[in-house]
Amino acid sequence: MNAPVRPGKGRNKAPKKGPWSSPVSAGIAGFFRAHSRVAKESFAFVSARLGTSLLVWLLIGIALGLPAGLYLLERNLGAMSEDWQGKPGISLYFEPGTSAEMISNVREQLGRDARIGDVALVSSELALEEFKAYSGLSDALAVIEHNPLPDSMRAVLADNVEPFQIKLISGSLAQFPGVKEVVVELTWLERITAIMQLVSRLGIILAVLFGVAAILITATSVRLAIESRLEELKVLKLVGATNAYIRRPFLYFGLIYGMGGGVIGAMLVSLSIQVIEGPLARFIGSYGGVLGIVGLDSAFVVGMLGVGGLLGIAGALLSSRQRLADLQVG
Amino acid sequence: MAEIELHNVTRKFGNGAEALGNVSVAFESGSMTFLTGHSGAGKSTLLKLLLRLDVPTRGQVLVGGVDISQLAEKYIPVFRQNIGVVFQDHHLLDERTVFENVAVPLRVMGMADRDIERRVRAALSAVSLLEKEKLYPPLLSTGEQQRVGIARAVVNRPKLLLADEPTGNLDPDLSRDIMELFEQFKLVGTTVIIASHDRELINSMGKRIIELDHGRLMGANY
Repeated sequence: MNAPVRPGKGRNKAPKKGPWSSPVSAGIAGFFRAHSRVAKESFAFVSARLGTSLLVWLLIGIALGLPAGLYLLERNLGAMSEDWQGKPGISLYFEPGTSAEMISNVREQLGRDARIGDVALVSSELALEEFKAYSGLSDALAVIEHNPLPDSMRAVLADNVEPFQIKLISGSLAQFPGVKEVVVELTWLERITAIMQLVSRLGIILAVLFGVAAILITATSVRLAIESRLEELKVLKLVGATNAYIRRPFLYFGLIYGMGGGVIGAMLVSLSIQVIEGPLARFIGSYGGVLGIVGLDSAFVVGMLGVGGLLGIAGALLSSRQRLADLQVG
Repeated sequence: MAEIELHNVTRKFGNGAEALGNVSVAFESGSMTFLTGHSGAGKSTLLKLLLRLDVPTRGQVLVGGVDISQLAEKYIPVFRQNIGVVFQDHHLLDERTVFENVAVPLRVMGMADRDIERRVRAALSAVSLLEKEKLYPPLLSTGEQQRVGIARAVVNRPKLLLADEPTGNLDPDLSRDIMELFEQFKLVGTTVIIASHDRELINSMGKRIIELDHGRLMGANY
């Protein structure tokens, strides 16, 4: 077996320029011409192997879709907590059998308190109806003779009330006659903040892991494309193609695979949101909120395309640099 | 000074085998030379050194006064763009048409499509294959495939044309035609070096012959 050629190895002289210049001065026009032709050929190559390409797109799409979905979840939780942080609320639950007069009295007192903004009464009957609607247990609940739910009141604090005052206010509200329990939404804020932190870190971990997966998927696909064109690459080397020229079609493959994966990823996220939209709207509605997904817009799709494209090019570079370095010609 | 000079060139491989031993030879610009010798004599190694696919263990390979074994990697592609290579087994791309196969060196150089068309047609015309430009190589005979390989080697109007056993699979008449084709390129100033072990054909051409045996220069009819 011949020893591999290591041009210039062991030689001390500075690298020299060749004896001949290029027979053609292609200039910037030649550069764009070459890119345009290679892009067309790469699209044709990918289209001709549509089954394989779809599989690659799907794999990259799943790899990108999972962290992207978590990113959207984090953004929406953030928006939700901001909403609640702007209007902190307190729920008062009355003792069963509390008279309407006592409840009305509490409402009047709350109305006079400058620290309290809007007050909404939720009767036990209304609470039961809502529970039936959201839980899907209307048949089971129909057989219960007595309504187990208490009357309640939700008080939204005034805008000028600082969050640290909420616990103080809730303590004073608990002193009202007939009030059994006071629930501060701060607990929910704390939970959402904790969930957001968890989602954020999970997102980072998944983004790194699945980003590496997307690079490896592209690298493997590009490697297969290189192996199927080895004879051509050897000929190109012999006729004076630079490594950049030889690598170019494979970088386009990476770009096409990555961007295609980005589109599939965005579609998967959109589809997933449609599937969970109904239950999510009911869940948020049960806390008086209105579902409004933020972040799933054109910027998100462009971002997915960009990230997909970059990961695709990274995978293609990884694969082609490694393979071309090993390519033996002649 | 000759266009190409080899000074005391030795090429040894890792296993100690010596493919070329202390070879010194020169090739004038526009000359046509045959390298001959048995299998393993060192003909292909010499061609690889000239194409800068390999570097000598010792000695110098000078092209236009530059030792090409000292070339930086980034200058090698441009150096090769000035060389045409013909192989015994053609190295044609089966999934590309005859036209596209011949166009490969010009596309690598970034030539405009209009000029590529003109140059490829001229090269195909020179090897009498213009009417087959849209066919794919597997549909051609061995002789036609070799002529496509020659068209690809000369389409960039190379300064140096290297051929490794170009008539190895061809009948005598076709071999003679191809040699005459090489002679035409020599006439336009291209330095032609052909490795072949077909002594009968080589002798009939009446050109300079360099004989190698086990990596040693045995003789030359200068």
